Amino acid sequence: MADRKVVSLKAASAAALLASGLMLAGASVANAQKAEPCIGASLELTGPLAHTGKQIVMGAEVAIDEINAAGGVLGQKLKFLAYDDQGEPSRAVDNGRRIGEKDNCIVMIGGFRTPNAIALREPIADMGLPWVGVISAGTSVIEWDKGENKWMFRVSMKDRWVAPFLVDEALARSKDKKLALVYEATAWGQGAVPDVEAAAKAKGITLVGKETFNIADQDMSAQLIRLRDAGVDTIITYMVDREATQLLRSMERLGYKPTIISAWGISSQLGKTAGNLTDGILVAGTFAWNGNLSPRAQKVYEAMKAKYSLTSPNDILLPSGNANAYDAIYIIAEALKIAGAFDREKMVNAFYKVKYEGLTANFDPAFEKAAAGAKTERHDAIKPTQYRMLAFHENVLKPVEQTPYKR
Amino acid sequence: MEQVIQFILSGLSQGGVYALVAIGFYMMWSATHAANFTHGDVFMLGAVSTVVFGEIGVPLILAMPLGIAVSAVAGALIERIAVRPFNHGPSSIGWMLTTIAIGLMLESALTATYGPLGRPLYSPFAQSPIRIGGSGIYAQELLIPAVAIGLMVLLELFYRHTILGRAMLAVAANPTAAGLMGINVSRIALIAYAMAGAVGALGGILLAPVSEASSSMGALIGLKAFVVAIVAGISNARGVVIVSLGYGILEKFIEGYISTAARNSIGFGILILLLLAFPNGIFGKREVSKV
Repeated sequence: MADRKVVSLKAASAAALLASGLMLAGASVANAQKAEPCIGASLELTGPLAHTGKQIVMGAEVAIDEINAAGGVLGQKLKFLAYDDQGEPSRAVDNGRRIGEKDNCIVMIGGFRTPNAIALREPIADMGLPWVGVISAGTSVIEWDKGENKWMFRVSMKDRWVAPFLVDEALARSKDKKLALVYEATAWGQGAVPDVEAAAKAKGITLVGKETFNIADQDMSAQLIRLRDAGVDTIITYMVDREATQLLRSMERLGYKPTIISAWGISSQLGKTAGNLTDGILVAGTFAWNGNLSPRAQKVYEAMKAKYSLTSPNDILLPSGNANAYDAIYIIAEALKIAGAFDREKMVNAFYKVKYEGLTANFDPAFEKAAAGAKTERHDAIKPTQYRMLAFHENVLKPVEQTPYKR
Repeated sequence: MEQVIQFILSGLSQGGVYALVAIGFYMMWSATHAANFTHGDVFMLGAVSTVVFGEIGVPLILAMPLGIAVSAVAGALIERIAVRPFNHGPSSIGWMLTTIAIGLMLESALTATYGPLGRPLYSPFAQSPIRIGGSGIYAQELLIPAVAIGLMVLLELFYRHTILGRAMLAVAANPTAAGLMGINVSRIALIAYAMAGAVGALGGILLAPVSEASSSMGALIGLKAFVVAIVAGISNARGVVIVSLGYGILEKFIEGYISTAARNSIGFGILILLLLAFPNGIFGKREVSKV
C-alpha cells in the first residue's frame, strides 16, 4: 500500500511538473506573441540627411496624436519611439533589435536609406517583427532574391515601378523621343540604370545618353554638352537637391533647356536653393502639401504647422515621405483593430485586409497575398497607378495638375 | 571649340576655389611647417557664417567681412589649440590628428545647428550667365580665379615689402634664428593661421552663390587643395595658384573627354605621377637643412 502511495505520489509529481512545464511553455509563447502598443522607428536624425528623419517623425507623430485623441487602438494609446541610426546600416540593425526585443514594439517603421532597410531584412525575420518602410524605395527591400518576405511591407514608391512611370511621362513630353538618363554615382543612382533602360526598351526606344556625376559636384557642363549635342530634349534624373541645383545652374550656363523629369530624390528644398530655375521641373512622388489640399489634408497640415512651428508647406521638405509616414501609421492602426490584439503574427495577417482611404492613395486593400501561381505577395501599398507627378511652379512643388506643366 | 571654351572657363572657376584654399595651406606651412589639415572646414565656416549673418538681417556688405572674421578667429584658435601644442619639430605629427579631429567636430556641430542642407547666398554676379556662343559662365565664377591671382600678387608684395611679411619669411626660413633676432615666432604663427582662415573664408563666400553654403562643402575641396599645394611645392605661392588653376582645368577636360565618374581617380593619379617626377613639388625647392 505504502509502495502504491509512493508510486502515485511520484506519478502525481511528474504530472504536476509536466503540467506546469506545459503551462510555462504556453505562457512563454503567449509572451512572445504579445507586444507593446509602441511603434519603433530607426531614422536618420543626425548627420547629412537628418532632415529625412524629421519629415518621417512629423508625419508619424501627427497620425499617432489623431489616433490617440480618438481613443487609441484596442483601448490603448500608441507610443512612438524614434531612434537615430545616423544613416548607418549597422546602427539601424542595433535599433531594430532594441525595438523588437527590449521595447517589444508591435511594429517598426523604416527611414530614408535603402541599405539600412536591406541590412534589417534578416534581423526582422529572426525577431518576427513587422516592418513598414515609408521612404526607402529599393526594390530588394521587399522583393527578396532568397527566402520569403513575410514581415517587411512598404507605404512608399518602389524603384522597379518608378522607372516605367518616369519613362512614360518622359515619352509623353518628348518631341523627338530622344531621352537620356543622368544619375548620381551611388547605389541608388546606379541601381536605376538597368530599370530605366528596361523601361525604355519596353517602349521600343533606346536611351540616347547616360551620364553620371559624383556627389557634391559643382558643375555638370561636360555631361550636358554631350547630351545637348546628341539632341536630347528630355532628361530623366536620379539625384538629390544639392546636385540638382548644380544641374540647373549648368543648364543655365549653356542655355540648354531640356525637360527634366526626376525620381523623388528632389525635395521642396530645391525651390529655395535654385529659385526660378526650378520652374517646370517634374518630380515623381506620392503627395504634395502645396496647392489645393483636401479638407482632411488641410487639417493634417494645420496640426503639423502648430506642432512643429512650420511657416509654410515648403517647410515639409519631403512631402511624399512625410505623407507616406502618416498613412503608414493609419494602416498599422487599422491592421491592429482587425487583428484584435497586439500580436505581431495576427497583425501581419490583418495587413492584407486593411481598407483605408489615405492621403497618398485609397488602399483597398493595403497589401495583397500572392495570387495562385504568383511568386510574391504585394507588400507595396502604393501601386504605380497611384504615383503622382509633381512640378515646381513659382519655386514650390505642387501636383502637376495645379501648374501650367500638366500634359 | 565651344566645349573647349566651356571646360577652360569652368576649370578656371573650380581651380580658383582650390587656389584660395591652397594659398591658406601655403601660408600656414610657411610659418610653422605644419597646417590645419581640415582647412576646408574653415573655408566652409566663412560661407556658412556669411549666410547666417545674412539671414539674421545683417546686410551682405557687412555679413561678408563678418564671415571672414569668424574664419580668421577659427584659424587662430586652431593654431593655438590644435597645432602649437603638438608641433615640436620636423618629426611631430600630432597636429595632423588634432586638426582632423577639430575639423570633424566643426562639421558635426554645424550639421547639427545650421542643418545638413545647403542654403543659397545672394550675389548680383550669379543671377544670369555670360554666354559665349554655346558656352557660358557666371561673372561670380570668373571672380574666383581673378581674386586668387590678385591675392597671390598681393601676398608676394606683402611678404617682400612689409615688416610683418618679412618677419613671416624669416620665421619660415629659420624660426630659431628669427626668434633670436627678436621676432615673436609664436605671434607670427598665430597671424599666419588667422590670415589663412580669412583667405579660405573668402573662397567659400565667393563659391557659395553658385553652389550653396553647406556644412559639407569644404571637406573634399580642402583635401584636393592640400594635395594640389603639395604637388605645386607648398612653399611657393605662385606655384600653388598656377597648379590649382591648371588642376581645375584638367578636371574639366577629364570630365569632358574621358569620364565624369573617373575624374577624381584619374586626376589624383596624375598628381601622384607628378609628385613622383617632382618630389619637392613642381615649383618647390629642395629644402636643405644644416646639421
